[in-house]
Amino acid sequence: MRPHDNRAWFLVLPALTLLALVGALPLLAVINYGFHDIFTLSDVYWVGPQWFADILQSDRFLASLGRSLLFSTLALGIQVPLGIGVALLLLSYGKRAVWGLMLVALPLVVPWNMIPMFWLGLIEPRTGLLGPGLAAIGFDWKFTGWHTWALILVVDTWHWLGLVVVLAYAGLSAIPPAYTQAAAIDGASRWAVFRFLQLPKIAGALAIVLLLRFIDSFMIYTEAFAINAGGPDDATRFLTLELGEEIKGFSYGQAAARATLYFLIVLAVVWAFVAATREREA
Amino acid sequence: MRHLGILALAVFILLPLVQAILLSFTATLPTDTVAEGAIGLINYRNVLAAPELRAAMVNSLIYVVLNVALCITIGLPAAYALARYRFTGDRHFLLMILVFRVTPPVVLSLPIFILFSHFALVNSPVGIALVHCLFNMPVAIWVLESFIRAVPREFDETAYLDGHSRASFFFRHLIPQIAPGIGVAAFFCFIFSWVEVVFARILTVTGGKPITMAIQAMFSFQTDIGMVMAMTCLSLVPGVAMIWFVRNHLARGFTLRA
Repeated sequence: MRPHDNRAWFLVLPALTLLALVGALPLLAVINYGFHDIFTLSDVYWVGPQWFADILQSDRFLASLGRSLLFSTLALGIQVPLGIGVALLLLSYGKRAVWGLMLVALPLVVPWNMIPMFWLGLIEPRTGLLGPGLAAIGFDWKFTGWHTWALILVVDTWHWLGLVVVLAYAGLSAIPPAYTQAAAIDGASRWAVFRFLQLPKIAGALAIVLLLRFIDSFMIYTEAFAINAGGPDDATRFLTLELGEEIKGFSYGQAAARATLYFLIVLAVVWAFVAATREREA
Repeated sequence: MRHLGILALAVFILLPLVQAILLSFTATLPTDTVAEGAIGLINYRNVLAAPELRAAMVNSLIYVVLNVALCITIGLPAAYALARYRFTGDRHFLLMILVFRVTPPVVLSLPIFILFSHFALVNSPVGIALVHCLFNMPVAIWVLESFIRAVPREFDETAYLDGHSRASFFFRHLIPQIAPGIGVAAFFCFIFSWVEVVFARILTVTGGKPITMAIQAMFSFQTDIGMVMAMTCLSLVPGVAMIWFVRNHLARGFTLRA
């Protein structure tokens, strides 16, 4: 057991100070702005919780919230099982798995604003490698809502699969081989080994994957905006796209109120997640 | 069957990259001397000849390296404290870094811009390096903490018994022992900072443009997409090099302590 020693705070202090400056301070400012109408920085009026009430009562907000939730659900539903599958597949390659890890890590180093460009280039009807084929079967991401959804999901999966695979592989490869050998001797099926041995062992590693992927897909902005800017007909108008619109429209008070609400959603998710994790560990 | 799965995965991952690399070697805007569709290094020559693009690469490298250095030097003591001691509020600290890691940049972008412009940190790589700590410091702490915890406590105690001070223990014993962890932490900090666009955009209004914004600025009415792709391919080089350096330690990943 680790000893209790409050002098450890001295070691944490530099990190805490830095995070307070670039994190906590701006956060307090955002919450404060959310209660004001801001024309310019010297022309600010107190409006109380008006923006919050406006946003929460608007149908557009609820619709965007629903879309973002659906998107996160789909993204997690695709990426987590697929990532675990790939990690299991790589595990069976022994030492050569490192090449697979490097492969799936590649999209992680692509600048975010270029990821949609890559894919739009790929499906460009005239010049893209996939473009002519997709055009021939009637794929139209610009004007058909569910095609845009499919494209954003594919792009998001391409981008983030590597993180799921790397972390799932890290968890899986940490299981001593004796465990799986013992299970094999007992005649356990492949599925039973996964369900009752491997899955519980990687739960800790998966927890962070689930959380990171949930929040990041829930708050997807760069890719969704570059691909269709919320269209067609608001079909891919996610929460962050609304926030982006308000910031670009200089409605800083409303934007701050909205940002505060999003932060509260994030906070609630993290809190629920941590509570669940601690319960499991206890 | 197994190989087929890997093959499908490789095609899926590599296809967009292949497209980009092909385009980067193709002349996409015809000029007097080069016909459209000609294959060659013309795009790369154009990129390297453009002073603003060269400057953008340097800007990006400066703030990313600065950010990695900050996250490791400040994150290491914190990770050590969390790995070796319990203290009042340690769980709250872990919860706080987790919250900051997942807070979307777009939520904080406006006040950070106002705050940083007060301290002349706009248009400066230092500002971006500082603000990227928001999501990189937690990752650095998680990675380093898991590596330190894998080192038995007796290792520390022997060093202290041998008369090492805390500082000399850190530099002469602990850091060499967890060198792979520092590599992995540096890798994650490097890539998350290198590819980030929201903070990098709002904090570079008139100057100090990073590589991501320089690429964005290349899109215009008549975009030379080949040149854009050449620039993008060049922007992948440091990240790919990082992957190569940490390949054997990548599988340690990071786990969360909450």
